[in-house]
Amino acid sequence: MAPPRSYHCEALILKHAPFGEADLLVTFFTRERGKVRAVARGARRSNSKLVGHLEPLTQVSLSLAQGRGGLDHVSQAQLMESFAPLKDDLEAITKGFYLAELVDGFGSEAHQNQPLYNLALATLDAIGQDPESELPLRFFELRLLKVSGLMPELYRCVECRSELVPESHRFSPDVGGALCLDCRPADAHVRPLSLRALKVLRLLDRSHPTEIPSIQMDVPLAQEIKSLLKMSIEYWLDKQIQSNSFMEQLHREQKPGVYS
Amino acid sequence: MTPDSIPAASPSLARLIQELNKLPGIGPKSAQRLAYYLIRLPNEEALALADAISAVKSNILFCHQCQNLTDSSPCGICAEPQRNQEQICIVEDPMDVLALERTRAFRGLYHVLHGVISPLNGVGPDQLKLKELFSRLTQGEVKELIIATNPTLEGEATAMYIRRHLAGQELKITHLARGLPVGGSLEYTDDLTLSRAFQGRQEL
Repeated sequence: MAPPRSYHCEALILKHAPFGEADLLVTFFTRERGKVRAVARGARRSNSKLVGHLEPLTQVSLSLAQGRGGLDHVSQAQLMESFAPLKDDLEAITKGFYLAELVDGFGSEAHQNQPLYNLALATLDAIGQDPESELPLRFFELRLLKVSGLMPELYRCVECRSELVPESHRFSPDVGGALCLDCRPADAHVRPLSLRALKVLRLLDRSHPTEIPSIQMDVPLAQEIKSLLKMSIEYWLDKQIQSNSFMEQLHREQKPGVYS
Repeated sequence: MTPDSIPAASPSLARLIQELNKLPGIGPKSAQRLAYYLIRLPNEEALALADAISAVKSNILFCHQCQNLTDSSPCGICAEPQRNQEQICIVEDPMDVLALERTRAFRGLYHVLHGVISPLNGVGPDQLKLKELFSRLTQGEVKELIIATNPTLEGEATAMYIRRHLAGQELKITHLARGLPVGGSLEYTDDLTLSRAFQGRQEL
């Protein structure tokens, strides 16, 4: 029996782009099938039944039909969660775009990753509840590496495998995580890792998969964590994160805040 | 047949197909169809098209006021003395000006951003005509800014950025109403649009 030509799934909308005269090419991250790109016919017309249901950073229930050219077609979309509080704040929207770019970069097509799906939804919710806080994004970045099988080693030296004693260490995404002060792998990009940063990373690692722990960080510590995670993410993505530059610009234009 | 596989005997045809293939939404097959259509056109019609493309490339410039595409600066709209000089409507693209002009509902001036903030595509405020807008507002004639970016997430982010940049200035900032489209249906309307339609309800 031939496989069914249509299927239902639940998805987070990552982005869309104009396609043809009035269509949209939408990138979804689905709970059941990982990343899916599909065409929504006529969705740019104001009276389309799909209009408003296909905006980025929205959770939807979908009916899709398999297309012949490799691109599926959206036949129905029903909004499940619009993350309305997030969309009322510029900082929060920007963080949402950043999250969408990372999910797009790390998510694979036709490869289910339900932990990543749940993580993305929980993080969007947390960003909407506290748009000023940077912590949801740091939590997301570390857990994203974890659910993608790219978690940096935080408990033993990646070179000599000795247990890390409570003192300052070094970190390198090239070799896969923390290094003791005695190990110096050749050709690896190594940077210092403070004991405080190591403790925060371990706390984020051990926390509930979708519940962001409450951590108070001063600005230097928050900057260190941010830079370590950004270094790891960009190493694995093998490119710069586009949405980061606008997020940094908004930061610069605002008065420096307290990280929490 | 791809443009590369066009026989070398017709290099000019291959070049035309290649150039047409660069247009948005035009694949190799459509490019071939268009090229053969152009070959069959009477000479004067084909040359009129070539002349129109050449003229638009050499004559079109940005209006120094509204940043719309025009043959002369200021453009026809900015030069109209009857227009309300105290209202500026901000739009994403020149095509939005045409859509709003068709309604005849607005008699003020425009400002064309030529895009929206799109962090995923690396488009930030510096890539838009925002600097020109903010410098235009320092001239002091404008009393109301009507933000008419599309009601998409990127359009909303652009509107929020403009509002934030102009916070504290003595300027009325409004945006177009959000709600149900004419000919639409409540059943298929998303929750966000419906809730905004309720917020913006009007007394009959």
